[in-house]
Amino acid sequence: MSAPVSPGLRSGSLPLLVALMTLLAGLSLAGLAGVQTLAESWSGAARNATTIEIPSDTPQLADHTHTLVQTLNKTPNVTAVRELSTKEVQTLLAPWLGQVSDSAGLPGLSLPVVLIVAHTGTPDLGTIVHNVLPEAVVEEDRRWGERLNGLGSSLIACAWLAVSLIAAIAVLSVGMTVRRSVMAQRKAVEIVHFLGAGDLTISSRIAGRAALLSLAGGFVGLLLLSPVITMLARKLTPFSHGTPPTDSPANTWDALIAAWWSTLHVLPRILLEELGALPLIAACLGWLTAQTVVLAWLRRLP
Amino acid sequence: MIRLLNVSMMPPGVGQPVLRNLTLSVPQGEFRWLLGPSGAGKSSLLRLLTLETRPSAGQMDLLGVSVSHASRATLRNLRRRIGFVPQDYRLIGEWTVFDNVALPLRLRGASERDTRREAFAVLEWLDVAHLADKRPGALSGGEQQRTAIARALIGRPELLLADEPTNALEDAQARRLLTTFQELIEMGTTVIVATHNEALVREAPAASIILQDGTIANTDIQNGISTRRAERS
Repeated sequence: MSAPVSPGLRSGSLPLLVALMTLLAGLSLAGLAGVQTLAESWSGAARNATTIEIPSDTPQLADHTHTLVQTLNKTPNVTAVRELSTKEVQTLLAPWLGQVSDSAGLPGLSLPVVLIVAHTGTPDLGTIVHNVLPEAVVEEDRRWGERLNGLGSSLIACAWLAVSLIAAIAVLSVGMTVRRSVMAQRKAVEIVHFLGAGDLTISSRIAGRAALLSLAGGFVGLLLLSPVITMLARKLTPFSHGTPPTDSPANTWDALIAAWWSTLHVLPRILLEELGALPLIAACLGWLTAQTVVLAWLRRLP
Repeated sequence: MIRLLNVSMMPPGVGQPVLRNLTLSVPQGEFRWLLGPSGAGKSSLLRLLTLETRPSAGQMDLLGVSVSHASRATLRNLRRRIGFVPQDYRLIGEWTVFDNVALPLRLRGASERDTRREAFAVLEWLDVAHLADKRPGALSGGEQQRTAIARALIGRPELLLADEPTNALEDAQARRLLTTFQELIEMGTTVIVATHNEALVREAPAASIILQDGTIANTDIQNGISTRRAERS
């Protein structure tokens, strides 16, 4: 241990506070990652798809549909054109028409032809389609995409607000703990100051301890978070494209950790990186807060 | 060198100054008793001289530095050149005697080896080396006072200030402390000692600053500690 040149920090409940804040921040980040993934997938899916509806009363429906599909397939940036089956159209219209078991549809009501066009760019499909088949209705899913994007952005902003609030509460808690500690050791701090200790000498010792305790609290918080994150990863496994982890019991610690790690790999990499950085962020916030509080307090002394 | 010119001091929240228009000068390497009844302003003057507060009016120069408008960094460096023995000892309770005494040298960035050597030399001289690993709370009043003296002396200060430094010491130890002051003066240190102990003052007659109601009532120049240096040289 280094020789003392200034009083240290009386930690009180600082590590516990930081651990709880880390837990909350981790949960918020996990929520944020989920919302971000959803928003991206919504807007991506909507942005790159267009629905074309050809009314059933269009003359020579089959021929016109065939011509339109050929034209679309030749259009640059169009990656796929798919005609929905009658069953799919029925399913699509089920909320309005109810379930129809008969493949011919409802008596007196014939179903339209529905084409889903996947594309990578933003071709002016409306003009292309109307040149071939003026009766066709082009539903640009981009507008839905924009709305979904807006909703996703709002949810992301809310999640960031939650993370920022947690960080602010953490800073406030560390600040109050440090201030209480300085007040409790006021006499010792004044003695050291009046013997010629520099402000940074005093504040650095307290800030160093605050950083260390915050780091420890951060790791404890991460430990508390790991069951929740593991559970979340297990819930997400069926939606992932990777190989699902085996449920066979692991016999050794290494196997156990490897199984746990493969479970976590379902989560977005950025989330794992953010969670891993939480203790370091907590330590940095603890150090900065303690430095600021102590230096501000020392300015009272001549 | 201490130079005060019309210095007043009014602590915050106090209606009237506790020190008023003090003008005095103490050359480097001189000794002064600081005398006066309780409430006369001795402790306030010592607080000014130890830079615990700044004058509210007037000009104060310490060791060639104008204190009134000095920066924090200047004051910090100046404090390292001043030794102080407070009446209440002001030891850090959580630290050992050794760490308390070593602090001034550590703040100056001295090596741990040099700090250890110097600290044990002064602790042995004051007969408290065997208490080096104890905390101040485990010491008697006299031992705490000797620890505070050791902390003030270890940095070989250019200005030594002491507030009743002998009130918990035995007579022999008090006489030994006076000898130390004499040696410091010979090395060029300015020493100011506030005391109520008339017997001590009689034993070592020297120039005095006598305070009364926050002003200098008298500066009594006598043959004593302050002139012995001249006699010896």
